[in-house]
Amino acid sequence: MAQTKRELLIDPMVDNNPITLQVLGICSALAVTSSLQVAFVMSIAVTLVTAFSSMFISMIRNQIPSSIRIIVQMVIIASLVIMVDQVLKAYAFEISKTLSVFVGLIITNCIVMGRAEAFAMKNPPIASFVDGIGNGMGYGLILMMVGVIRELFGAGSLFGVTILETVNNGGWYVPNGMLLLPPSAFFIIGLIIWAFRTLKPEQVEEREYKIQVVEAH
Amino acid sequence: MSEDQNVQNTAPKGAIGRFLAMPADTLPKTLFVAVTLCLVASMIVSAVAVALRPAQEVNKLKDKQVNILQVAGVYEKGVDVAEAFAAFEPHVLELETGRFTDQFDAKTFDDRASADNPDTSVALTDDPAAIGRKSQFVTVYLLRDDAGAIDKVILPIHGYGLWSTLYGFIALEENGNDIYGLQFYSHAETPGLGAEVDNPRWKSLWRDKKLADENGMLQITVAKSVPAAGAEYHVDALAGATLTSRGVDNLVKFWMGEAGFAPFLTNLKAGEI
Amino acid sequence: MGVRSFFDRIEPHFVKGGRYERYFPMYEMVESFLFTPKTVTTAAPHARSYVDMKRIMTYVVIATIPCILMGLYNVGLQANTALADFPATGWRAALIEFFGIGFNPQNPLANFLHGLLYFLPIYITTLVVGGIWEVLFATVRRHEVNEGFLVTSMLYALIMPATTPLWQVALGISFGVVIGKEVFGGTGKNFLNPALTGRAFLYFAYPAQMSGDAIWVPVDGFTGATALAVTAADGVQALAAEGLTWTSSFIGTIPGSIGETSTLACLIGLAFLLVTRIANFRLVLGCLGGMIGFSLLLNLIGSDSNPMFAMPWYWHLVVGGYAFGLVFMVTEPVSASHTNVGRYIYGALIGVMVVMIRVINPAFPEGMMLAILFGNVFAPLIDHFVVQANIKRRARRNV
Repeated sequence: MAQTKRELLIDPMVDNNPITLQVLGICSALAVTSSLQVAFVMSIAVTLVTAFSSMFISMIRNQIPSSIRIIVQMVIIASLVIMVDQVLKAYAFEISKTLSVFVGLIITNCIVMGRAEAFAMKNPPIASFVDGIGNGMGYGLILMMVGVIRELFGAGSLFGVTILETVNNGGWYVPNGMLLLPPSAFFIIGLIIWAFRTLKPEQVEEREYKIQVVEAH
Repeated sequence: MSEDQNVQNTAPKGAIGRFLAMPADTLPKTLFVAVTLCLVASMIVSAVAVALRPAQEVNKLKDKQVNILQVAGVYEKGVDVAEAFAAFEPHVLELETGRFTDQFDAKTFDDRASADNPDTSVALTDDPAAIGRKSQFVTVYLLRDDAGAIDKVILPIHGYGLWSTLYGFIALEENGNDIYGLQFYSHAETPGLGAEVDNPRWKSLWRDKKLADENGMLQITVAKSVPAAGAEYHVDALAGATLTSRGVDNLVKFWMGEAGFAPFLTNLKAGEI
Repeated sequence: MGVRSFFDRIEPHFVKGGRYERYFPMYEMVESFLFTPKTVTTAAPHARSYVDMKRIMTYVVIATIPCILMGLYNVGLQANTALADFPATGWRAALIEFFGIGFNPQNPLANFLHGLLYFLPIYITTLVVGGIWEVLFATVRRHEVNEGFLVTSMLYALIMPATTPLWQVALGISFGVVIGKEVFGGTGKNFLNPALTGRAFLYFAYPAQMSGDAIWVPVDGFTGATALAVTAADGVQALAAEGLTWTSSFIGTIPGSIGETSTLACLIGLAFLLVTRIANFRLVLGCLGGMIGFSLLLNLIGSDSNPMFAMPWYWHLVVGGYAFGLVFMVTEPVSASHTNVGRYIYGALIGVMVVMIRVINPAFPEGMMLAILFGNVFAPLIDHFVVQANIKRRARRNV
């Protein structure tokens, strides 16, 4: 089932979205989506790490002994994450302060590992790179959707630009404080998954059980 | 899945080629891959870290300087931070005597490390700000006007709120009693409630408040209602954030009190600084 | 039977194949509200009981009547008492003056009507907004609108502070109905109490309007702290200074959410629910035991800095939402544990949690809402272990 590059890029957006279909990478989606700017930087960071780690792993995939393959993947991913972290600290200090540990935690983001193990180990470098970009963007898409809802209704702004003037600043909008707390992202992601699966019923998982109706005698 | 044909079919060339063509699961190959990867990865990572360190150090310093500039009310977007900050004189202050000390280099002195060092700090028994240990030496900043006279003093303060320790600065006018501003640069209070300590409107409430009354009694208070002492000593508590407000109240009272900067402020008022 | 024959006449339009088939849930809702449902279970197993869903729900609503009456009286009483120092403003004041009822806190009728003017808008908003969601889901999902919603909306309205803005009321009940119930498949499949889910949403979303001192008495500018807030700050001894005695807390003439202040009214409701066997006594015993046991333990431990440690159990019983939650939320059959042993454990868990949140957590003076939701989440797990233990015991017996 060879996929074209286009499919590799587009599929993870909706049809095979890492968050809504595979339910991976949820933790960071909760932590970094209270403001759009942070969610945006996080999306880019994850996209870059996924793409490059997939590419590098794919390049040496025939040399990786299967007994230590997970460790090899981790080393490559971790090195990339450290580099991203260092670059952010050097050139985007404000954002790296708000992202704090979550950049480091990209290492444990299941999407990166998942793509490395599921795709890059079996496919050539360019395809793996594109697959990484696609999955990173699928992740980013959900992050941005959650970020828009949380920042707009939680703080009355988008990308830090005030849209709804909040009461504390003399406006009319009473911000929804729950949206600033991480658990709210659970609800929002849940609702997004609900919406996706309503629009695309083929994503609905099969029931694990079925209530049998025994006809009355 | 498509197998990568190239590697499989090309005949191995030379010693390296033959080594690479070995089955991946043999012991020498496993060792080779592990060692090589670790070497390459560590080299790249450390190269990046070393190359970027200067930029990061600058950022960290700048971050702290921006906070000091903001609390002193001279920060604007786009301003050259290093240049603006040059107007501020750092001094290491010995809290107990209220005098500056030359024991340490003020430019590199680390308040937080000092608070952890048993030689330079004391464990607090009466500890309303819930900070555990208090450094006996802290870095303070003086802002002088064009004539060279002290215009503002910027004092570091910190204490526990609801969930976290709030770190910040308070800026006082040259008389050592009028508050110019208060700002926290690090905390983890509830977003939307306690985190409103960062709200510019709330921060602006501190402007022109007074610490102590004519008798020298410390009166400044953060509370929901105006105290008997009068509105000039009162900062309105944050709506819905009782415990963060109480924390700020405690820490301001602690640092402005005898255990904090009171000796220094006395010297300042006497014109001995 | 004019009404009955009207329903019989229009029924064919709504059943399968009829013109308005899609809107059957709405027809069914109105019909079964007015008459005994005639549908019977077709699938085995069958158990015969006169207590059907409709009767259970109706009884719970009946049991809330003392709380409603007392709540209305108390909201009016608090408002009228506070009005002695503050000017009366707004449409409610205009309406009361128009009818010449006055603001005398000594006059029970004036109090009652004043309270009604606060409760009715909240309750109507709840019914309308929640009802829209119910009907929407019922229509899309082809299930029936359940009487359970009447209970949910009544309980929800009773745990609102009287000052809650109506748009927040609407938002909360929407969240409660959709996230607390419908996403899991509707009544009977919800593992959280929908009314509490809505309340919790508001509590975290708009803490300034849902907690603090200024929201309990619906008079602008007046602040009246709840007994729990006073105790958390200054200890039980300080309550007397605020005019809060144990008796007044028990009867319910203290600041608090509309229907939750009167322990007496809640206990009357509890008696009714226990006699009619709607409420399971094991849940109540468990919850009382957990609360009393844990607060005694904390009394014993004591604390210099936290006056809540010293709060005796009989105070815990009468302040905040404990009594109301115990009677109407803990005993809710769907979200509680379903095994008898599990019910004791479930109740005790909530009892311990409520005291723990009230006393030890610095951020939340009130703990009943969170404790019950916490219990809801654990109820299936408790059942699971009880069932497993039972299976093991039986297996051992038969070896």
